[in-house]
Amino acid sequence: MSFQLYLLRRILFVIPVCLGITLFAFVIANAVPADPITANLPQSALNNEEIIAAFRARWGLDQPPHIQYLTYLGNLLQGDLGTSIKTRNPVAEDIGKFLPATIELATVGIVFGIVFGVAFGVISAIWRNTLADYLVRILSLLGVSFPVFVLALVGLTVLHAQWRWVPGPGRLGVLLDDPPFVTGLFLIDSLLAGEYETFRDALSRLILPGLVLGLYVSGIIARITRSSLLNVLGLDYMRTARAKGLRERVTIWGHALPNALIPVVTVIGLSYSNLLSGAVLTESIFAWPGIGRYMFRASTSQDFPAIMGGSIVIALIYVGVNFVVDILYYFIDPRIRLA
Amino acid sequence: MTSSITSLTRESGWRDFVRQSVNQLLRNPLVVSGLIVIAAWVVLAVVAAIIAPYDPLAQNVNVRLTAPNDVYPFGTDELGRDVFSRVLYGARVTMPAGIAVVVIGSVIGTIVGGVAGYLGGLWDEALMRITELFMAFPTIILALAITAALGPDIRNAIIALVVVWWPPYARLVRGLVLEVKTQEYVTAVKSVGAHGFYTLFRTIIPNCIAPAVILATLDIGTAILTFAGLSFLGLGADPSSPEWGRMVSIGIDFFSQWWMWLFPGLAIASLVLAFNFLGDGLRDLLDPRMRKR
Amino acid sequence: MKRFVVLLAVLIALFSLGMAQAQDETVLIIGHAESTDSLDPARGFTQTTGVVNKATYETLVTFPDGDASEVLPLLATEWTISEDGLSYTFTLREGVTFASGNAMTAADVVFSFNRLINADGNPSFLADNIASVEASDDSTVVITLAASSPSFLTQLTNSAFSISDSATIAANGGVDGEDAATADAAEEYLNGTSAGTGPYILEAWEAQVETVLVRNANYWGDAPYFDRVIITNIPEPATQAVALQSGEIDLALDLTSDQIAGLEGTDGISIYRGPANIVHFLLMNANPDVGGPVSNPLVARAIRLALDYEGYKTLWGGVQPGTNLAVGLLGAYGEDQAIERNLDEARALLAEAGFADGFDITLDYPDFSFQGVNMNTNAQKIQADLAEIGINVTLNPAEVQVALEGYRAGTQGFAYWFWGPDVLDPSDVLSFLPGGKVASERAQWLPENAPAEINDLIAQTGSTFAAEDRVALFGQLQDFLQESGPFAPFNQPDIQTAFASSLQGYVWHPQWLLDVAILSEGM
Repeated sequence: MSFQLYLLRRILFVIPVCLGITLFAFVIANAVPADPITANLPQSALNNEEIIAAFRARWGLDQPPHIQYLTYLGNLLQGDLGTSIKTRNPVAEDIGKFLPATIELATVGIVFGIVFGVAFGVISAIWRNTLADYLVRILSLLGVSFPVFVLALVGLTVLHAQWRWVPGPGRLGVLLDDPPFVTGLFLIDSLLAGEYETFRDALSRLILPGLVLGLYVSGIIARITRSSLLNVLGLDYMRTARAKGLRERVTIWGHALPNALIPVVTVIGLSYSNLLSGAVLTESIFAWPGIGRYMFRASTSQDFPAIMGGSIVIALIYVGVNFVVDILYYFIDPRIRLA
Repeated sequence: MTSSITSLTRESGWRDFVRQSVNQLLRNPLVVSGLIVIAAWVVLAVVAAIIAPYDPLAQNVNVRLTAPNDVYPFGTDELGRDVFSRVLYGARVTMPAGIAVVVIGSVIGTIVGGVAGYLGGLWDEALMRITELFMAFPTIILALAITAALGPDIRNAIIALVVVWWPPYARLVRGLVLEVKTQEYVTAVKSVGAHGFYTLFRTIIPNCIAPAVILATLDIGTAILTFAGLSFLGLGADPSSPEWGRMVSIGIDFFSQWWMWLFPGLAIASLVLAFNFLGDGLRDLLDPRMRKR
Repeated sequence: MKRFVVLLAVLIALFSLGMAQAQDETVLIIGHAESTDSLDPARGFTQTTGVVNKATYETLVTFPDGDASEVLPLLATEWTISEDGLSYTFTLREGVTFASGNAMTAADVVFSFNRLINADGNPSFLADNIASVEASDDSTVVITLAASSPSFLTQLTNSAFSISDSATIAANGGVDGEDAATADAAEEYLNGTSAGTGPYILEAWEAQVETVLVRNANYWGDAPYFDRVIITNIPEPATQAVALQSGEIDLALDLTSDQIAGLEGTDGISIYRGPANIVHFLLMNANPDVGGPVSNPLVARAIRLALDYEGYKTLWGGVQPGTNLAVGLLGAYGEDQAIERNLDEARALLAEAGFADGFDITLDYPDFSFQGVNMNTNAQKIQADLAEIGINVTLNPAEVQVALEGYRAGTQGFAYWFWGPDVLDPSDVLSFLPGGKVASERAQWLPENAPAEINDLIAQTGSTFAAEDRVALFGQLQDFLQESGPFAPFNQPDIQTAFASSLQGYVWHPQWLLDVAILSEGM
């Protein structure tokens, strides 16, 4: 299959999913029981028909649901997600502000996860059925079994409160101003602006939440790396390689690992999209101003434009990352090209 | 893994296979320790009322925030409730909730997948597209949106999780049904005049149950974790309920009173770990290539 | 490996570089759980609004720095009151300019008061009694009341009565006419900057993030010590404690008593403790359709008898208020006159009301910590207390704004809220009596449900001026509240704040909580 054809097929698959996501989000957001009028207008305005009518018109509340949905879809295509009731900013603008924080955290998390996960997985596979293997396997199971919120609290208590190795919650110390907005990623923006103290602080505050997320992800990655590596090590061509007299280390790094990578990449992709979308717990403990916390606040305050916009954007990211993984697949897995 | 699970439905019947596998599982130390821990928690949940030294809801503000000692082995919380008793009673909330999510989710998934696979054609298309749609949403975000709509309590948290839990089962069972449908005994049952859904539920689905049960076992740990996570966020159990996730959430305000959140946290971890040990053993067993070594 | 070492070295170098940067202006950083939705004096009506607007605006009259013992001149240098108590004539201070440089005149006072009256904002009710505001010349204002009021001057200290810059506000969409509720468009402008005569100017307010104040170069009085004040929003008390310990903030306003206890004796941290005036109470809706069993006055009394008042004091310190009139205000019932827990009597009352086996009810409350008091903790204790007399309470915490919606609409049957006095005067308790804001609008306890003699007593409060008469009058009203009211006040916690020891002059104020302009820094 040519790359173009493959790409086209993937895209054709993604479009209806995206449409479905918007419809689905719309249905859920409209099921929120709060009356947006009493929730958002001061009590004194509730008797004022004029104000209420203006409010209805602004939110399109005076139209039947399917028209509301189409209006919403039309606005969405122009990048307009409506206005958040809680923050009073356009939802798209809010997401633009909160999303980079999540991307930064998820990226640090996935980097930790890959480093530990792949290392553990390789160790475990090479010394299969030894003590090291068992230890690593138990450790990686612990990683996926420990609730992130408990890990986070242990980390805060020990590394922060007791030993003072890492700073507390928050993305940046209160003394520091956000670096001028370029990418929204503090690590990059602070370097661009030459604000090294901001960079140092932002980096140090990423360590603990990044580790917490990384430990969780590394458990999954280690497990897949191990089993996939074991598979490959058992394959015939590996035996051939060994027979040809290649040293064990060269065999593992040069031949086995690249082939074992295919399922690992899938899992990394999946984990990354999970971190981007599902770090609500970590974000709420670390007072991290990310998209998860934004969604959490929106859902507890029944802020329907934000719930709708937030879940659409997150689901799209989720679909998008998986799309990229599919594309990567094409290059890693020769079987697709041959098919 | 799906392909190895599929092999279980072959006509050889899965009863022998189960007997064999159980024997093999019981030789795996991780699986055995997992089973012991799970059994221990089940027993503790049942006898909580007998062995708990205090009423899990009884408050005594005069002894609040007591560190673990002889009288309060796990210390007391911010209202002077005994953390040990609360952790014991928590087994009655968190564990059943997680299991309920998986059980209800797998039943719904099995039905949807079964119907889709059996009817085929447009029905299959439609049901599977809907399934994929649900899968496109990340678990916790969808659960957040749903609890926002329903309001926070244990029942609604379970509903929210069921909504995100069923799709993988639908996918799995649909695949199995497509395979089983074409087999001779099914066509035989149909030819004697059994009508549609009777065939599906009496003949086809029972042959697909085993893989779904195995997937469910692998899943329970995650379901418990996710439920506890929702409770932690305040979207599940009542604030005074001895629910483990909820108990950990006060740790945000009291992280130097580690006993208040560490013990319920360890309770979640131990139970989830036990289910994961069990799941890991199952996985090894099912992966035929692993079995060879 | 080598590459990693080099990378590490580079990072360490970057770190130390950052450390070297110096601060050259004096900055005060306050950690606070922000609770405002508006900084427009005519619209914002929360504690956060009070703190910010105290720094950026000024009122005609004020209180001393540390208490509310007397009314002092501020933008008005003197005033006279007519015989009938209806007309107040204020002489304005000369030479006062707004942050914009505009001179403050009587026209600004008229504009500010009319805008407050007509904007229909949350604090507008404070001005309900004002019949007219007129400027007789540039420096004289005459305010006429609809009914005489012994607490009018006290009321004027509220930041809602801030004098704002009419020219600047009008230029930014501000309107003071009767159509102000819909026509006034200056709120957004006032949420971004201030237009007052205070020692500070609002430089920026980023909701739920931070509020930044800078010194007002045009301030008429002595310049405050700090060049810049940053109020950073830290909703979690634990995070505030950590930030204070690490020196990131100088003052933590919302610590719990447990955290304060943990900080005591820490080097470089001082603790302030004192009585405050926030009353935590249960509301029992008097409308049977909304309140169900708790709308029955017998049940309400049973609930008052069932609460473990000593327990709440163990949790948060403070006192048990006798009624919803905060202890410390003139004539308020304190612990001596407060209700004592009596479970047997409570059960008997329940039985008398027909609920011998108790009943099920939902308690609505905001999931929130206010000044270190965690409402979730109190709600769980209420649940346990009431379980003892057979009332089975289901807790229904909600996000603050969502909970407020039901509270303000009067649709909550059984709810837990707190109240800070609108005015530091016994007349504040009128909000909890038939016809008052909380009683009528939120608990649906209306004058027609109250005995005629009580309505009479309420009417007399406007025309009774002598202190001893007022004490007697409010005593009768408080007796009535204890007996028949739909409220169960259970705790008035102490205020506890922790701050960097280098901070000088910190004192808690019952009206505006904190005046940042009187703070300074010592060695």
